[in-house]
Amino acid sequence: MTGKILAGVLGAACFALAPAMLHADPQSDLEVYQRFFKEKYPDIPFTQFADGAYALNEQMRENWEAIEEFPPYGPFVDSGERLWAAPFANGKGYADCFPDGPAMQHKFPRWDKEQGQVVTLSLALNQCRETHGEKPMKYKGSPLVDLLSYIAYQSRGKKINVVVPKDDPRAMAAYQKGKDFYFTRRGQLNFSCAHCHFKNSGMSLRTDILSTAVGQTTGWPVYRSKWGTAGTLHRRYTGCNKQVRAKPFKRESEQYRNLEYFHTHMSNGLALNGPAARK
Amino acid sequence: MKGRYAAAAQPRRLATGSLLAVALFSMVLPAGAGKADRAEFDRLHAEAEQARKKADSIGGQWRDTAKFLKQAKAAADAGELDKAMKLARRAKDEGELGYRQASSQKGNVQIPSYLK
Amino acid sequence: MPSKTTNKKTDQTTGRTARQLLPALLAALMLTATAALAGKHGAVIEEGKSLTFDRKKGNCLACHYIAGAVSPGNIGPALAGMKARYPKKEDLRARIWDVTEFAPEAMMPPFGRHKILSEDEITKITEYIYTL
Ligand code: HEC
Ligand code: HEC
Repeated sequence: MTGKILAGVLGAACFALAPAMLHADPQSDLEVYQRFFKEKYPDIPFTQFADGAYALNEQMRENWEAIEEFPPYGPFVDSGERLWAAPFANGKGYADCFPDGPAMQHKFPRWDKEQGQVVTLSLALNQCRETHGEKPMKYKGSPLVDLLSYIAYQSRGKKINVVVPKDDPRAMAAYQKGKDFYFTRRGQLNFSCAHCHFKNSGMSLRTDILSTAVGQTTGWPVYRSKWGTAGTLHRRYTGCNKQVRAKPFKRESEQYRNLEYFHTHMSNGLALNGPAARK
Repeated sequence: MKGRYAAAAQPRRLATGSLLAVALFSMVLPAGAGKADRAEFDRLHAEAEQARKKADSIGGQWRDTAKFLKQAKAAADAGELDKAMKLARRAKDEGELGYRQASSQKGNVQIPSYLK
Repeated sequence: MPSKTTNKKTDQTTGRTARQLLPALLAALMLTATAALAGKHGAVIEEGKSLTFDRKKGNCLACHYIAGAVSPGNIGPALAGMKARYPKKEDLRARIWDVTEFAPEAMMPPFGRHKILSEDEITKITEYIYTL
């Protein structure tokens, strides 16, 4: 009797779980997303999606290439190099936490089994500082953005390769949360990220051409003329949330880290090319 | 007049409507206009704040809701109660709509058909 | 007694005058009302047009082509031939109020459901769009 009920309950539970599990298949997601853009833009070489909106418009691309001749993010890279080399109070430094050196952006974001959460590069840098008795950096402006710029510069050419380990269901859950965040309609205007960066990519929204979702995470930090400085991916998330009149989340919040996990995964195979310049 | 199927304005109806509205308004005016009192505002403000928090608890808060609440409070403190009530009502609407928007998608996020 | 008679007389006079005047009064009232109506309807359409074009209000041009508009967006379909598409005006209004009721995946803000515009503003925009 009890056995039967238990089986019934278990069966029901499996049934309820099944649809959720069907969704969470990062590998097939990745294929679907990348194929979508390859088919939408048959003339654009896949690697070019890493150039954001500039991949999609010849005129803009020319202006942009001219800017890249005198990169506005140069000073951030130089400052970051000094910060990387400067020892902590205890005599240790970043190199003690990242023994492979600064060319390591492609290892992030990653699932950390011990911590049970997605660790982004920004978070990892702060965890390194705290391990060595230093105060964490603010997730805005210098010195964080400088360090990130240097690391990005050193990591150019490395391929994005976000892994969602199969042996830890919490990793899949984090990926799924990021995916849900991405496709959720938000704010008074009621748009999801996908509304602007999938189907309507390449379209004009006022004076902007909308970039493709795949390739959006390769070039961070980004120097934006509109900001007049370099900023992080999470700063951009904040802006895109506000644009639809939704309250943004905190930088490095669980929501944005999960989003970054999902969002970066879909660009697997593309080469890092940060820091980048944008309008 | 409210709702998605509210009739679009037709000249005749509009005129009758506005005549009626004027009549009604002038009847109500002496009794009620500008008489929102502070206690009423405080109650509405508290409800709006509650609605905002509820939306925020599931990640559904909108961008300007907190700003409207602040502006409402400032207007009330400056004695502009009608303006204050209007802002607080707007914040309350936003709180409720943001909550509905987020809760309707919990566990039910729609993946675009072209990505299936 | 005399005063009473006088009063009665006056009452009768007033009554007659009013009865005679009433149709004329009503006619005059209706005339002005009709004139006002025609003007008012035109004014409603004009207001609807400026709400449609206003970036802080409808901002419909961000996504729709409307004949004669400067640099419209191309995310939604061109707004034209509305009377043919929507014989019933309220069907058009319902789409502006919340297009996702009809096209669940659409990228168009639910102007009515999310109170982006007031009911009155939506009515005026509908009047204008219906002329396209
Ligand atoms: C209303 C449309 C809209 C929505 C919705 C939107 N964005 Fe954007 N996004 C833009 C515009 C406009 C730009 C600047 C032009 C461009 O690069 O696409 C942009 C740029 C970006 C960039 C920078 C790309 C680059 O190459 O520099 C990222 C990353 C981004 N968006 C992510 C997101 C995410 C994640 C979401 C969902 C939380 C989102 N966006 C939602 C309009 C939108
Ligand atoms: C962010 C982009 C966007 C904005 C802003 C926008 N729309 Fe739309 N609209 C769309 C899209 C996309 C559709 C197509 C929906 C579908 O899939 O059927 C649409 C459809 C419509 C339709 C139905 C059209 C038809 O041919 O059946 C009408 C009417 C309309 N919009 C009116 C408006 C008006 C009026 C405004 C301004 C108050 C407006 N829209 C603002 C994107 C937008």
